[in-house]
Amino acid sequence: MISPQGRPGGSSGAGVSVGSTWSDAPCPVLVVDRDGGIVEVNDAARALLPRAADAGRLPEGLPDWLADAHRRMAGGRDAAHADPLSGAIGDRLFDAHPTPSSDGDVVWWLIDDTDRRLAEETLRSEQERAAILSEVSSTLLSSLSLSHCMESTARLAAHHLADAAVLIAPAQGLSHPVTSALADGPVTLTTRAVDPATVPGLAEALQGFPPVPTRWIDPGAVPSWAIPEGFKGPVGSVIVTPLPGHGIPDGALILLRSDAGPAFTESEDGFARLLAARAGAALSAARLYDDQARITAVLMRELLPPALGGVHGVEYAGRYRPFQDSERIGGDFYDVHPGADPSQESLVVLGDVAGKGLDAAVLTGRIRNTLHALLPLAHDHAYVLNLLNAALLRSPEARFATLVLASARRRGNRVRLRLTSAGHPPPLVLRADGRVEETRTRGDLVGVMPTVSVRTEETVLAPGETCLLYTDGITEARGGPLGGELYGLERLERDLAGCAGMPAEAVVERVHMLAAQWLGQGRHDDMAVVAISAPRTGPLAVISGYADPHNARKRQGRNS
Amino acid sequence: MITPPFEFSLIVTAAADVLTVEVAGELDHQTSDALVRTVVGHLSPGGAAFRRVRLDFGRLTWIDSMGLSALLAVHRHAGAVGVTLHLDSRPGFLERLLTLTGTLDHLTTTVTTTAAAGDPVPEAEAG
Repeated sequence: MISPQGRPGGSSGAGVSVGSTWSDAPCPVLVVDRDGGIVEVNDAARALLPRAADAGRLPEGLPDWLADAHRRMAGGRDAAHADPLSGAIGDRLFDAHPTPSSDGDVVWWLIDDTDRRLAEETLRSEQERAAILSEVSSTLLSSLSLSHCMESTARLAAHHLADAAVLIAPAQGLSHPVTSALADGPVTLTTRAVDPATVPGLAEALQGFPPVPTRWIDPGAVPSWAIPEGFKGPVGSVIVTPLPGHGIPDGALILLRSDAGPAFTESEDGFARLLAARAGAALSAARLYDDQARITAVLMRELLPPALGGVHGVEYAGRYRPFQDSERIGGDFYDVHPGADPSQESLVVLGDVAGKGLDAAVLTGRIRNTLHALLPLAHDHAYVLNLLNAALLRSPEARFATLVLASARRRGNRVRLRLTSAGHPPPLVLRADGRVEETRTRGDLVGVMPTVSVRTEETVLAPGETCLLYTDGITEARGGPLGGELYGLERLERDLAGCAGMPAEAVVERVHMLAAQWLGQGRHDDMAVVAISAPRTGPLAVISGYADPHNARKRQGRNS
Repeated sequence: MITPPFEFSLIVTAAADVLTVEVAGELDHQTSDALVRTVVGHLSPGGAAFRRVRLDFGRLTWIDSMGLSALLAVHRHAGAVGVTLHLDSRPGFLERLLTLTGTLDHLTTTVTTTAAAGDPVPEAEAG
């Protein structure tokens, strides 16, 4: 309705032709003469610019940006259809559209653009925030390292939200791990005793209470420990927000802005909480993983099978493969307890606890410790096994184990063996000529019946001969060319025969490899093998003990 | 194909004072719990009073150490209520496992524990 009269091609002067039309326009309209004086204004313009309406022909009534534009227009330097001009009047934003008339007056149409600008601004800010949150999540979730997560949280928070960020993790003892970062600056990790009560809202945040609104926190009250080194100027604005973990708070985040810049707005306060929620979830997962990994590592160290070698002129070698390849421990176990000196027997133990995984591994640890304590009695296998049996019967969970005890002692260039099976597959002996003998030791498993009866067998290994102790995970490995077929004792004996004359280390490697090959990708139980060999070569005077390079592993048992 | 195509199943027949459970397929770490639960469920107080439990292994295809563990658990529960356990139609591999581990006599002998002798036994024998 206003545009036809406003076009520069109009035949008449603006004052006349736009007459009643522009004065009724809903947007503010001003008619300004050549010198910048205001000729007329409509009601909307009067409401917007009361000074302009009163100023008569004085140019002071116009906002500076509009006055400048008008001067350029009147000077003829600007075409009528230049890009829309815009500027602020009060707290609102306007686009100004000029329509010049032939007598030099210009009609200025002011279109309020504030809401669109605000919407655009809000949209851009939300998009940025979504991108930041997504960056925070992907950065933090890609790592299960707790220190890395704390570092990333502080760095990202400082970079995107503040001049500095300080992350206070839950207390470890009396001190808190504190991670601080300057925006685009270095990140430092320290552990220090801090008093949460010294920062307003921090004690509450560390307990997981809802955050204190930022406007309630006095920036001057922030203690020096909470301000990272290198922070410029006094603190102007503070956010303290909890990092919510799984059920329990996972620390708190302090964001600081210098008083040189803008203070945190309420919307930024809210956004900081969103960011803290993401970071808290990631930190909590990392902390859980960290704790468990540490516990597992400590337990694992106790439960892992030992490294074996030569002891007192006898060669020992062992291999172990747990039920799940991702685990390193399981229900099979072995140990070699060296004799106090070469004239004493060394005790070899190999066994299998019913069950798999961690539960079984814990029981193997108990059995290994019990046997360790019973070493002074190792000359009587039946007695040791009955004592172990009694110990297992007293334990709360009804679990049993099968095992083989082997006592080995070098005599000249031969190795004398006493072998006792407690419900376990009897050991195999590989003779120098390739014959494989199944030993005839038999006995009851331990942990079920009130007493166990066993039959011990003695045998002698000539140089190059090997005694193989194995768990049923080997013979019960299922696979083969057709799949689902048991590896079995016969196949084990045949493959073992092919190892005649090999050193202990090579025998276990080969047996383990053949069983693993047979298995392919099939499911399997834990597997363990131990070989005891009389060395084919080497100093025959090894019985003196001084020629033995490997006796460093003597652990105890110097009882006699 | 990794596992043999033998479905594990338990067929339970309760006749007079005998509970018969036919165990078919593999008794291993995946299936042994089911056997223990089934037998213990039938022996629980308030159910029928059995004097004997017969486990029929005619269609058993494999047993591992967890399977043996399950047999020992069944035996323990049966003993606690004064019920005798029988292991019928034992295939060779089961016989060898029981012989190797010295558990055959143990499993087929009723061990009446002192705790069990006090309460549930008279009730079981009354039925």
